Amino acid sequence: MAQSSPKPSSFNVRGLARYALVAAFVAVFAVFSAIAPAFLSGANLLSVLVNNFALLAIVAIAMTFAVAAGGIDLSVGTAIDFASFAFVSLVLAGQPIPLAILGALAGGSLVGVFNAILISGIGISPFLATLGTLFVGRSAQQLLTNGGNPVYLPPSGVPEAFRFLGHGVIAGIPVPLVVAFVLIAGAYLILSHTRFGRVVLATGIQASVVRYSGLALSRYTAATYVLVSVIAAVAGLIVTSTVTVYIPSSGNAFLLNAIGATFIGTTLDPHGRPNIPGTVLGVLLLSIVANGLLLSGLNFYWQQVATGLLIFSVLAIGFANRKAASRA
Amino acid sequence: MTTSVKWQETDDIIRLSGIIKRFGGAQALSDASLAVRRGTVHGLVGQNGAGKSTLIKLLAGLHEADEGAIEIDGVAYAGLSPQQVGHLGIHFIHQDRLLVPTFTVGEALFLGREPRIAGTPFLDRKLMRQKSAEILDRYFGLRLPNSALIGELTAAEKQIVQITRALLDNPKVLVFDEPTAALVRREAELLFALIRRLRDEGITILYISHYLSEIVDLCDTVTVLRNGRDVATLAVGETSVREIGALMVNRDIAELYPKPKVAHGSPFLELQGLGLANRYADVSLTLHRGEVLGLTGLVGSGAKELLRTLFGLETATSGAVVIEGDTVFSASPAAATAKRLALVPEDRRRDGVALDLSVTENTTLASLDRFSRAGLLDKGAEKRKASELIERLQIKTDSADALVRTLSGGNQQKVAIAKWLSRQSEIYLLDEPSVGVDIAAKVEIYTLIGELAERGAGIIVLSSDIDELLGITDRVLVFFRGRITREFISAETSPGQVLAELTGANETLRHVG
Repeated sequence: MAQSSPKPSSFNVRGLARYALVAAFVAVFAVFSAIAPAFLSGANLLSVLVNNFALLAIVAIAMTFAVAAGGIDLSVGTAIDFASFAFVSLVLAGQPIPLAILGALAGGSLVGVFNAILISGIGISPFLATLGTLFVGRSAQQLLTNGGNPVYLPPSGVPEAFRFLGHGVIAGIPVPLVVAFVLIAGAYLILSHTRFGRVVLATGIQASVVRYSGLALSRYTAATYVLVSVIAAVAGLIVTSTVTVYIPSSGNAFLLNAIGATFIGTTLDPHGRPNIPGTVLGVLLLSIVANGLLLSGLNFYWQQVATGLLIFSVLAIGFANRKAASRA
Repeated sequence: MTTSVKWQETDDIIRLSGIIKRFGGAQALSDASLAVRRGTVHGLVGQNGAGKSTLIKLLAGLHEADEGAIEIDGVAYAGLSPQQVGHLGIHFIHQDRLLVPTFTVGEALFLGREPRIAGTPFLDRKLMRQKSAEILDRYFGLRLPNSALIGELTAAEKQIVQITRALLDNPKVLVFDEPTAALVRREAELLFALIRRLRDEGITILYISHYLSEIVDLCDTVTVLRNGRDVATLAVGETSVREIGALMVNRDIAELYPKPKVAHGSPFLELQGLGLANRYADVSLTLHRGEVLGLTGLVGSGAKELLRTLFGLETATSGAVVIEGDTVFSASPAAATAKRLALVPEDRRRDGVALDLSVTENTTLASLDRFSRAGLLDKGAEKRKASELIERLQIKTDSADALVRTLSGGNQQKVAIAKWLSRQSEIYLLDEPSVGVDIAAKVEIYTLIGELAERGAGIIVLSSDIDELLGITDRVLVFFRGRITREFISAETSPGQVLAELTGANETLRHVG
């Protein structure tokens, strides 16, 4: 009846969890290259990175900060949309691109400021606060666009600098991907190597200890939600420059995948904490699965099933983790 | 794991012998035995961590023993399940047993065993009302409306509901786990009267408490647990609170409370007529460098709120706080920590340490400025500081990267203190610093308090453990109903004097544990 020592067992499960994420990659690659020869081509993989990965990665790292702080941001799509709307409006008004970019970031960050007031100021839970923002944001956009009409940029009147964001190339790498890489690096630095990131993680783990340690909890939380919206606003900039149109409430398309990628990513951390490398791997996995299924000629709707299965597996692993940990 | 212990002539209803229980590497019980005689009130005492709750959970069928024999009413059992324990007539009254607050009294009483109207699936509400009213009236002289919500009841009434629930089953044994923790004295007296009556009606009582005076008042026999072992079982008539206390800790008082002689320096922290509406009023005191000042008071006396105010968790409504001549106003913990104040909170696992952060991350959480330049963390420096404090405070951990969750209570508390040492705080507010801490770590924490005083820090200790307070402080201030009613010089005071003051009217000694 002697119990096996809990420590090695929890280590094994955790080790397995991390191994599982890597194994999932190998499996997905193997399966898709077998059934869809086009999958492994350089052109396809680059297209996955530019069209699927880059934007979702930016939104997901934004989400990672919210989840790291113990919350969630359901209104990342709203920040994307507000940034996009501001950008398109300023460009149409003939403003220079740098000003339009600043305007877009400011437009997106309005959403974060609003969330910060609800969460830090009033004390509404992040889930409900950002859900409210999502609804308010959707209505606001319908009001601004006569019931949700897209705002197109005329193909002729678009400055070159604008196109560059969506379609340009730096050192052979498409600009959206460059922006994603820069943000990933920056986010990693912030979350793992700064004072701010440490406090964010500590807040997510045990907020009251942060407060009892003499840290201004509400200011950190407020800053977190503003940061989330600014990062999401960058995604809004890129998506608008790529498609040269603002479609009201279109940013919400990223929401669920961003949450999924963030939680898939937590399995990479030995303690199950949200982390940028994990989130990036999660985004990569979701992007590859989406692309591979498309190339395999499978029904589009199977993508959702696959995403769901991936998240189920992560939850299962996470549950095994907690069980092992609680026995310790 | 069958047993062959022969049925002895003594009429023991519960017999646990040679119980060993390990959790991972930790040995919660090592050869613990407990024999409870039928029809007696049997006390069970021990320090936190002595194994009381493990032993009780084992008896409740919530844990399984690794080794040892269990015998109930003369029958040996290899292991018990909670259902089995219920069928054997053993019922448990817990201090914080989860009664669903939105249930009515009637629903709570009959939860899971609702009587049905014969031959139908419908609840027999009339019978439920009748049976519960009968017991409530008989034992408590009390009519609790069956429709009252549990959430509306007082702690004492909730306990009555629990006891009634147990009595509905005609129990043979009632186990009370710290039953008076949430009761005021009058309610506790009523409970004691009830327990005596139940015993006289033939029900055996196992009574677990920190309050040794209760044990001496109420019990026929007492078993003392220490370090997972039963060190003595005594007839209460032949022992004393002192003897039981000494058995629990197995130490001399002097060894238990190391206290260096420190010359007091200049006044450090002064409170001038500080008040917080409806909590405390007109609190004036001076804390010197090198001084350890004790505070004590019953729940609601205002002492805890005073510590919270000093740390910026509450805002004083009158008076002033002066630190070395500067009037300070701490509107938040951030402001308080900037004034070199440190709070080690009572609820360590909620407020003191982050269980899922590592020892290093906890240690540096209050002093991240020291370990960062332009916002970037120097993780090497963090690790060095943590290692230094692990060494200095003798924190027992696998590594500086281990999660604080994996540490024992005492070592978690040391991390909660290390956090402030890393920040070089100078005024320490310690709220019940030794609660849930094993005896060895307690002594280490007391030693550390002495060291801090020697380095010129000012320390305020709030504790409900009077022996501890008198052992480690220079002065003790007693709070009663929001005011400081008495100041004692620790070295010249007996626990009884403080206790008399604490309760406001020279009531008999109650809390010694």
